Amino acid sequence: MMLTKAHPEPSKITTSPRTPESLIPRPTREKVTLWIILAALIPLTLASAEHIEFDLRALGGGFGDVANLLARMLPPEVNDPPRVFELLLETLMMALLGTVLATIISVPLAFLAAANTTPHPLVHRGARMLITMCRAVPDLVFAVLFVRALGIGVLPGILALGLHSVGMMAKLFADAIEQSEAGPREAVRATGAGRMGELIMGVLPQVIAAWLGTCIYRIDINLRTSVVLGFVGAGGIGFALQDSLRGLMYESAMGIVLIILVAIAAMEIASIALRRTLLNPISAGPAPRVPDVSSALLPPWSGDRRTRTIAGFLLLGAVIYSLIHLRINPLVPITSFGELAAVFGRLFPPSISGAEELLLPAVVETLAIGLVATVIGALLAIPVGILAASNISPARPIFAAARMLILVVRAIPELILAVVFVAAIGLGPMAGAMALAVETIGFLGKLVADSIEEIPVGPLEAVRAVGGSWWDQLCNAVIPQALPQLIGHWMYMLDVNIRTSTVLGVVGAGGIGFLLMESIRTLNFNLAGTIILLIFAIVFMIERISAWIRKHVA
Amino acid sequence: MSLIQITNTEADADIDSHHSRNIQADIAIEATALHKSFGSTHALKGVDLKVAKGEMTVLLGLSGSGKSTLLRCLNGLHQLTSGEVTVLGEAVHVAKARKLRALRSRVGFIFQHFNLVNRLTCLENVLIGAAGRIRGPRYGLLSYTKAQRREALGHLERVGLGDLAFQRADSLSGGQQQRVAIARALMQKPELILADEPVASLDPQNAANVMDLLFQVCREDGITVVCTLHQVDLALQWANRIVGLRSGEKVLDESTASLSKERVLEVYQQLDPDAEITTS
Repeated sequence: MMLTKAHPEPSKITTSPRTPESLIPRPTREKVTLWIILAALIPLTLASAEHIEFDLRALGGGFGDVANLLARMLPPEVNDPPRVFELLLETLMMALLGTVLATIISVPLAFLAAANTTPHPLVHRGARMLITMCRAVPDLVFAVLFVRALGIGVLPGILALGLHSVGMMAKLFADAIEQSEAGPREAVRATGAGRMGELIMGVLPQVIAAWLGTCIYRIDINLRTSVVLGFVGAGGIGFALQDSLRGLMYESAMGIVLIILVAIAAMEIASIALRRTLLNPISAGPAPRVPDVSSALLPPWSGDRRTRTIAGFLLLGAVIYSLIHLRINPLVPITSFGELAAVFGRLFPPSISGAEELLLPAVVETLAIGLVATVIGALLAIPVGILAASNISPARPIFAAARMLILVVRAIPELILAVVFVAAIGLGPMAGAMALAVETIGFLGKLVADSIEEIPVGPLEAVRAVGGSWWDQLCNAVIPQALPQLIGHWMYMLDVNIRTSTVLGVVGAGGIGFLLMESIRTLNFNLAGTIILLIFAIVFMIERISAWIRKHVA
Repeated sequence: MSLIQITNTEADADIDSHHSRNIQADIAIEATALHKSFGSTHALKGVDLKVAKGEMTVLLGLSGSGKSTLLRCLNGLHQLTSGEVTVLGEAVHVAKARKLRALRSRVGFIFQHFNLVNRLTCLENVLIGAAGRIRGPRYGLLSYTKAQRREALGHLERVGLGDLAFQRADSLSGGQQQRVAIARALMQKPELILADEPVASLDPQNAANVMDLLFQVCREDGITVVCTLHQVDLALQWANRIVGLRSGEKVLDESTASLSKERVLEVYQQLDPDAEITTS
C-alpha cells in the first residue's frame, strides 16, 4: 500500500496481479500443518509427562540425592589402574573394529542400495530395507543377543557396533553414491570398462572423501556407545563401571567416568584434526608444477600425500594390532555363524506369553519418555544452541561457555547419565526422561548452533543496519531463516530419543528395554523376539512420521 | 523445404557412390535407419550414416537435433530403438555386453563436459583410458604397471600437459581438462574417436586450440573422427565431410570441398544466423 502511494506508476512495477485485501497473509498449507502439529503436541506431551509421573518436585528433592551422590563420588579414584587402562584400550579397539566391520559390510551394500548403481530396483528396495533394519535395532539389543550367542567378551560388542553402524553408514554411503556425477561414470564406460570398473574407477573416487568423513564421524559415535556395552557383558570399560556401581564404590565409578570423558573428548579432537588433514588436502588448489615429471612416474611426496599414506598405514597397523591384542580371528563371524543363527532363530516365532499385560504399557511408556525428554530437552537445547552460534551469540565468553557445555554433555554417554539419575531419583521412567533431556542439550544444541551459523549473513546485517536490537536480530533474521532446519533437527532428535528410550530399561530407567532384558535373562527368547519386533516397529514408524512431517512442514 | 529434399537425395546419391567405390574394410561406421526414442520424444527418425576410415566428419545441428544421441548410439551408450549400426566391423545393435565393451575400448569418446574424475590426478584420469584392455578395475596410481604409467605420461605430454600430471583434474582450466580427456581417449589407442561438442563449454581461443589438437592428433595417427559441433567455421576448417541433423533427421551430408557456408547455415533453418551460430 505504501509502495503504491510513493511510486508514480505502480502498475508497471507490481508483479502481483492484485493487491491483497487483508494485511494478514493467508496461511499456507505448511503453516497450517505446523500449527496443527504443535497444537497436538502440547496435550500429548502433558499426557505423557503425567503417564511417566514426571514431577519436577521429585527433581528438586533429587537434587539433594544428587549432591549426596556427588559427594560420595569425590574424590574420584582409580582402583587398579592397569586393569582400567586395559579396559579402556579394549573399548577403543572395539570402537575401531566395529567401525571397520561396518565399513566392510556397508560398501557393497551401499552400491546395491543406491538407485543409480543398483542392479535391479528390487535389490535397491531390499538393500534399503536391510539398512533400515540395522538402524532400527539398537546396538545394545544386538549386543545382548550376541552375548547370548558367543558368550561374554569383546567380540559380541564389536559385532553389535558393526551391525548397528551399518544402518547409518550404508545409508550415508548410498546417499553419497546417489549424489555423484554421472558424467565420469559414462566416460569410464565409454572406454570399454566393465561394471566393476565403472563403479571403482568412475564412482568410488567421487565418493571416497564423503565416505571417509562418515567413518570418522561414526568411530566417534561408536566410542561413546562402546563404553556402555560392558553393561550387558559385551566388553570394554563399561564392565569396570558397572562393577563399581554394583559394589557401591562411587569414588572409583567417578574415576572411570572421568577417564571415559577424557577419552571421548580426545577422540572428538582427534577426529576434527583427522577430518581437516584428510578431507581438505592442501593440493585441492593448483599445486606447484613438478619440473621433471617424466623421470618420476609417481607423484612427489607432497605434504598431504605423506599424511594420507602415514594415516593409512597407521589405521591398518591399528586394526591388525587390535585383532591380535583382542585375540580375534577375523573369520569368526563366519565360523560362528551357526551359533548366531541359532540364537536369532530362537527369537522365532515371536510370542507374548508371560507378558500379555505388560507389553502395551511398556511401549506407551517408551514413547512417553522419548516425547517428554525431547520437548524438555528442546526447551533447554535451543537457547543453549543460540548462545553457542558464533554469529548471534551476544558475547565471546558466553559463546565459549555454551560450546563447552555442549561438548561436555555430548561426551557423557546417555546410559551413564541414566545411571546417575536413577541413583538420584530412583528407578523408573522419570530418570530415563531426565537423562535423555540432558543428553538432548548436547546433541540438539550442537545441531541448532551449527545450522544457525550456516544461515546467510545478509538478513542479519540488514537488521543490524536498521538499528535492530539483539532480540530483533534473533526474531527477524535468525529464527525465520533457521526454522525449517530447527524443525527437522527436532524431529530427528525425537527419533533418536525414542530409539534410545527403548534401551534405558537396561539400567532400570523405564521403558520396554527392561522387559527385553528380563525376557533374555529368563531365557524367554520368543518374548524377546516380540519385543525386538516391537522396537523395530516403533523406530520404523517414528522414522516414517518424521519423514512425512519434514516433507510437509520443513 | 524443397531445397532440403534435394539436399537429401543428393546426399543419398553421394553415399551410394561412395559405397560402391569402397570395400567393406575401409568403412568405419555404417548405420542404417536409426531410430531412437526416449519415452515419447523421438530423438532419431531414421538416420543413415556411413563413414570411411580416416574420414573427419562433423555433425552439425541445433541442440536437441539428435547429434549427441546419434554419437551415443554408435558406441552403445544408448541402445537403439530400431535400426542397424556396424562400427569397426562390430554390429552394435546386436552386440552383447562383452563384445560391446571390446568395441568401446577401440572407440575414444570426448564429452562436452570432459567427464574427468575430479578428485583424481590427470595421470590417473588418462590411465582410466586403459580400463578396457587391462583386466579388472584399478584404483590408485600404484595399481597400474610402470609401463602403463609411462605410456599415459607420454599421451599427456603429447597434449602438452606433461608437467601437470600429478595435479588434481579439477584444478585445471576447461581447455586443459578437455586436453586431458583427449589424452585419456588416446590411451585407448582408438581407431575411431567420437567427440560430443568437445568445445561447447570453452571460450573461442581455447576452443580453437582444442580442435586443432584433436584433429591434428587424429590425422597423425590415422584415427577416424566423428565430431558434433556448433561452430560452422570450425567445421568447415577441419572436416572432410559435414552431416547436418534437424529434429532427428539428416538434412545435409556432403564433402566440405564443394560446400559453401550458406548451404551449411541452412541446417540452422528458422534462425538468424548472425545471432545464433557463432555462440554456443
